[in-house]
Amino acid sequence: MLRVIRHEPLPAARNMAIDEALLASAATPTLRLYGWSPHAVSLGYFQRSADFADLPPGTPIVRRLTGGGAIHHGDELTFALAIDARWLPRDIAASYRLLHGAVIDALAAVGVASHLVEGQPPSARPEQRWCFAGPTRDDIATSGGKLLGSAQRRVHAPRERVLHHGSLVLQRPALTPFVAAVADSMPVAAALRQRLGDEVVDRLAAVLGLQPVAGALTADERSLAADLEARRYADPAFVHRR
Amino acid sequence: MRPTDRQYLKSHEWCKIENGIATIGISDFAVSHLSDLVFLDLPAKGSSVTVGESFGEIESVKAVSSLYSPVSGEVIDANKDLPDNLEWLSQEPFGKAWMIKVKVTTKSPDLMAAAAYDTHCQAEG
Repeated sequence: MLRVIRHEPLPAARNMAIDEALLASAATPTLRLYGWSPHAVSLGYFQRSADFADLPPGTPIVRRLTGGGAIHHGDELTFALAIDARWLPRDIAASYRLLHGAVIDALAAVGVASHLVEGQPPSARPEQRWCFAGPTRDDIATSGGKLLGSAQRRVHAPRERVLHHGSLVLQRPALTPFVAAVADSMPVAAALRQRLGDEVVDRLAAVLGLQPVAGALTADERSLAADLEARRYADPAFVHRR
Repeated sequence: MRPTDRQYLKSHEWCKIENGIATIGISDFAVSHLSDLVFLDLPAKGSSVTVGESFGEIESVKAVSSLYSPVSGEVIDANKDLPDNLEWLSQEPFGKAWMIKVKVTTKSPDLMAAAAYDTHCQAEG
């Protein structure tokens, strides 16, 4: 079973806290779909906040548990998959290809043509601060550029778990107008959002070999998320730890 | 066969204990599955590590992974040159790519000899 949780857009710190709570506690494979309100910038786990001192004043910033470059989360379909590692290929690149293949199929089902980027090996030390600035091998792109930002966190204790983040751009965010967006292909209306979300759920569940079932956070997960939000993600000391 | 003068965790850290001091790193198997390493965070000298808990984090281009301590004790040294020379992890994971040295108070009961670890890696593929 793949528990599917759909949340309305939430503040950045709450989103990241819920995802860590799912990584830490969820016994059931879980896929959460959500958005961001207000729009916010998330930093990759290892990024330096000082490199983003030029953001417009008041821009909410959060640090992700997952790696990679920063993302300006505007109008997008974000998903977090929290799952035991045994459900995914051990090889990280292979796990990306599996999940990205499902997202490409979901996009195709609603009429958006996209593809896996080939041939460009990831740079050994990315200089670009924005996730979407430089598509690398196995990213999802359209002719207009990179369409999906992805990152993972892998833990081994108390058991092997993976948190996989995906940010599918619906409309170009203000701070990163160089990204591709679903809106390049078609108007993004409520019906499309719903259908694209449904397709992402169905296709990811299919490649994982799991049956999607609508669910909600447990009381323990809500409690853990509230604790993580207060003492980690909303804490400036964590946001600016590097 | 990997070096037999040390022990290994299923999560792919190695630990070589001499005179009560553990030298800790990660195996070639871990490095090959991470690939394209970009960042490494290690604990500061003087900090404490605990058996089974994270002592550091490593990022490849596509994933951040936690590193788990095979021992408890005080960190008496960290390989401060390693974060700027991550290629050492591919070149000499059991040598100059050591990560931390710890004054051991407790050792994990889950540490395996090289032969058992080799079998574990073969099973993981």
